[in-house]
Amino acid sequence: MLTTLLIAVPLVAAVVVWILPLSSESTSGLALLAVLAEVGLWVGGARNFDFSSQTQQYSASREWFSDLGISYSVGLYGFQYWLVGLTIVVGAAAIGYAIWAGRERPRAYYGLMLFLVGSLVGMFSSQDLLLFYVFFEAMLIPIYVLIGVWGGPRRLKATVTFVLYTMLGSMLMLASVVAFGITQGTFELSEIGTSSNDWIFLGFLAAFFVKSPILPFHGWLRITYTEAPPELSAILSGVVPKAAVFGLVWIVLPHFPGPVDDFRGLVLVLAAATLVYGSLLAFRQPDIRGVVAYSSMAQMGLIMFGIFAVNDLGLDGAILHSVNHGLVSAGFFLLAGIIETRAGTGEFARLGGLAKGRPALASIVLMLGMFTLAVPGSTNFAGEFAILAGVFDRGWGYAAVGAAGMVLAAMYALRLISAILHDRRGSGGTDTGDLVGGELVLVIPLVAILAVLSAYPALISERSFPLDQPSSFISAQETPSG
Amino acid sequence: MIFGGWLCLLAPLAGFLAILLAGTRITRRQAGILSTASVFVGFAGAVIAFVDMLGRDTADRSEVTTAWTWLQAGEFKVSLDLLVDPLSVVMMLVVSGIGGLIILYSNGYMKGNDEERRYFAYMAFFVFSMLLLVESANLLLLLAGWGLVGLASYLLIAFDHHRPAAVTAGKKAFLMNAVGDATMALGLFLAIAKTGSLDFGPVFQAASSGELSDTVVTLIALGLLGGALAKSAQIPLHTWLPDAMEGPTPVSALIHAATMVTAGVYLICRAHPIFEAASAVQHLAALLGLATLLVAGVVALVQWDIKRVIAYSTMSQIGYMFVGAGIGAYGFAMFHLVTHAFFKGLLFLAAGLVIHRLSGEQDMRQMGGLRRSMPLTHLTFLVGTLALVAIIPFAGFWSKDAIIASSFALGGALGWVLYIGCLIGSLLTGLYSFRMYFYVFHGEPSAKVEAAAHGEEAHHGEGDLSMTVPVVVLAIGATFIGLLQIPGVWEPFAEFLEDVVPPLVTPSTGQEWLSSMISLALATFGSYVAWRAFRAGRELVSAGPIRTLLEHKFWFDDLYDAVFCRPAQMVAALLREQIEQPLVQGGLDEVADGTIEAASVAGRAESGLLRTYALAFAVAVSILALVFLVVR
Amino acid sequence: MSGPGIPWYLAVSAILFATGVAGVLLRRSPLIVLLSLEIMLNAANLAFVGFSRLHGEMDGQIFALTVMAVAAAEVCVGLGLIVAMARRRLPLDVDVFSELKG
Repeated sequence: MLTTLLIAVPLVAAVVVWILPLSSESTSGLALLAVLAEVGLWVGGARNFDFSSQTQQYSASREWFSDLGISYSVGLYGFQYWLVGLTIVVGAAAIGYAIWAGRERPRAYYGLMLFLVGSLVGMFSSQDLLLFYVFFEAMLIPIYVLIGVWGGPRRLKATVTFVLYTMLGSMLMLASVVAFGITQGTFELSEIGTSSNDWIFLGFLAAFFVKSPILPFHGWLRITYTEAPPELSAILSGVVPKAAVFGLVWIVLPHFPGPVDDFRGLVLVLAAATLVYGSLLAFRQPDIRGVVAYSSMAQMGLIMFGIFAVNDLGLDGAILHSVNHGLVSAGFFLLAGIIETRAGTGEFARLGGLAKGRPALASIVLMLGMFTLAVPGSTNFAGEFAILAGVFDRGWGYAAVGAAGMVLAAMYALRLISAILHDRRGSGGTDTGDLVGGELVLVIPLVAILAVLSAYPALISERSFPLDQPSSFISAQETPSG
Repeated sequence: MIFGGWLCLLAPLAGFLAILLAGTRITRRQAGILSTASVFVGFAGAVIAFVDMLGRDTADRSEVTTAWTWLQAGEFKVSLDLLVDPLSVVMMLVVSGIGGLIILYSNGYMKGNDEERRYFAYMAFFVFSMLLLVESANLLLLLAGWGLVGLASYLLIAFDHHRPAAVTAGKKAFLMNAVGDATMALGLFLAIAKTGSLDFGPVFQAASSGELSDTVVTLIALGLLGGALAKSAQIPLHTWLPDAMEGPTPVSALIHAATMVTAGVYLICRAHPIFEAASAVQHLAALLGLATLLVAGVVALVQWDIKRVIAYSTMSQIGYMFVGAGIGAYGFAMFHLVTHAFFKGLLFLAAGLVIHRLSGEQDMRQMGGLRRSMPLTHLTFLVGTLALVAIIPFAGFWSKDAIIASSFALGGALGWVLYIGCLIGSLLTGLYSFRMYFYVFHGEPSAKVEAAAHGEEAHHGEGDLSMTVPVVVLAIGATFIGLLQIPGVWEPFAEFLEDVVPPLVTPSTGQEWLSSMISLALATFGSYVAWRAFRAGRELVSAGPIRTLLEHKFWFDDLYDAVFCRPAQMVAALLREQIEQPLVQGGLDEVADGTIEAASVAGRAESGLLRTYALAFAVAVSILALVFLVVR
Repeated sequence: MSGPGIPWYLAVSAILFATGVAGVLLRRSPLIVLLSLEIMLNAANLAFVGFSRLHGEMDGQIFALTVMAVAAAEVCVGLGLIVAMARRRLPLDVDVFSELKG
């Protein structure tokens, strides 16, 4: 029931915002109220959530197209609960940012944002393959419109690029979904069984690789993250790639054990290449968003390591790191937006020297930077460490690449910090003061969650899979229940 | 005992958080007091733990407590474990005690800096991280502390963020340490894969019982050694330390002399079962320590920046500790760590007094004759120098010479190489230390010194009370702390550590005194040569290829620049300019433009004429109908 | 039951349908286009009824009635539009209205 509520609240709010002719203040107020209600529901639900239980919780199921075996079936396991939580927190921060930035045509805007949040939550909690696909596509629609209408100067090209890539991925996935569901006679994930068909597997893989993105499917990344409004970039980089994490962990791993084994080498090599390539490119980007975009790509390469290690450390680490990375990159995109608004530019050539007299800004940039480079002791480090220790089992070479990635991450993160805070005073930053009330309220919660997680990363890693036995839990899903 | 451990760890953290959250609601002075007080509370915790420990039976002196699980996955589990045993208590006392004194000193030294609050927050954070490092009871948490001290070091080196040199030095330190962290992490991955745990107990047990194969142990040890080399600025990961002197002087004293840089020695002692099982790696550590102590010693001979001379001497002294730890003389290595913390902290703080007086001047050629205008500084600096050179009865004599004697006792080819090398090191120490001392305090005062002596600064004495008191306390320590270890008389320090880290070699009393005398003679000779050269106005190393070699610090920086930095940048540039932009982004532009173009062409088919649409529809339906009829 | 066999019905239906199509495609007056549409619908109705008779089931007849109802509704809307156009003195020529041009 709670799951349905979590999905429905933003969707209903979106419809209300679209239909009722509210003033712009009450529109944004309603949107904020809706996401805050989500946060409340999520926190309240967490108190009663039994993370060690073997069954899904807050589940609801109803026949939809019974002839085809399609149903509205939602429910949550531990790792889904964390991904939903990430969505809600980042969504709330993004809507808060939009209110701070004051978006034009608020009714359309907030409606789309709420719709996006609702479909993301739905996607992370679906237990039916076709339902997953429906939410997966539904989340793309608001993204297209939001980039195309509220984006930067090159928004048209960004939208077209994004549509081309995601459509290609989605088409392949749709083919796979249909082929898989029809051959198995049901779309219910708990009953669908396993398949050893390489083509179906590759269809899913392509869609998820586009979404992550993994080399060489990353062409949309740079322009989309740069042209989208910052709060959308926050969701795009922080939450949307987690669709791939969810899909791989919950659809691909349990239902395609054979192909996963066969293609593991290829996937891990691609992930390693993504990690190195993303880090190196992040090191050469001329603006804040470019660095965060490519670093986000590198981090997804790392998460892919964890998923395809398919062992306890790798999977726990992948979920933990998904949450960490989501919070960090969302925080950085919001911060980039704030700096761009105030300084009029995000380009390093015109930034610099902002540490002087701006303690709050400097502290937050520093902390986010340190989380980005996964300084030992941070929750990002815990995630990275678990992932790499997991993938070490599959070959020490991957872990060595990952360790090199840690050094590369230090390189680009330090460069980013210095370019904003240190160096000489840039022409863009002369009249910007320190962060004030509203901006702090947006970013501090994200940083605070990261800080708390750093003291206790087991909060997530221990509670992602029943009894904290991810690999046996995943393999238990291979045989259909009942 | 465990209460003391917690108090020691958490007090500095509380201080850090309080300053961070209070922001501008407290004055700069209050921030300083808060930071100092929190670290001294931590010191009190360490003392409580120490006293409690002394009251216990030797077998009962190690205690582990778990706060909560930090990271868990399946069978693998790492908790926030605190370990209080003699080894960690020694480190706790040093870190919080010396740390407290240096932060107290900072109250005077940093006065007037706009960003004092940030400084004191970072200092408290550093002390917390260092304590986490030494108190952790598993390798992962140790690595966490390891990384956090690196972070604090970066933040404090780059404290003057408007000076590009400081920021660059900070980044360099962080990056080299990240390399060390990475190798250490690899070692840890291997340990997890083979033992399923990272707690000290099971891992060390597996290493010493021979359960792990030689290759595995060697690789784990190499990983740990990589971390130790980076953190302790030993060859080949040493080039960051001299640059780190861009940070404020108390930072150099605390982080880059007394505590953080000695963490590598602590790690080798702590993980001694692993290193003993991989004796080749342990000997490698000793040899790298030897190389560092010689290289740093000779490079120090040509440096003119007072802080850089002390920095090179720090590298050199840590080289001695590595030699000690590498041959299994753990107690002596740790003892040298403790005495070094006193006299090197003292030297930096006294140098800080000089720099403070001369408004930031660090070039020794601009100093001279300071002994008249700054008598207290002169006296304490001299004590520090004597302790560094290892003149009886100052601290260094008892600690450094014990390491040299151990290498003598070890014997064999390795022992002799180390022994001879260490003795040459003693000579070098005498040379560069007294060269520095004479240039700063003797000779004719420079114009700058004269100006300072009559300037406004002179009316404040040699510094605030908050600055002079720590210096005097450290000077007393540097004079007497060595008496804890008098060969043949009593050796309580080594005995205290014996149960946790049993030594592999123990020199006899005769060996100790014999090698001490040789070393003392060499050091005195070195000091004498330095004096003669100074009087004659000659350089210790005359111009020529050797001097060029030394002035370029053996070209390590240039080598790394050419081998790592520039290639990495080139590859990154190549990827961006030759692959990403033309192929991926460029190809993408083509596709996007093509799509937009195609759409507008297709759009022209929409004539808006109803009848055309109807015709198209009719034709299409007819064709479909025909197809169905024909194909059936 | 006697009378013409099913081919006859279908033939008439086809002729009607072809007439309707030709009308839609060739005439420019919206009124005639609408009329032609009706002819096409009735051609379909005739086919329905014919088949219904052939199979002896009532389904086709019911469908024909439904189509008639829909056709009536459609004519209402269509005629309403045409009347509105005439009132505004717009030209009664479908080729003039090309607002949908892409």
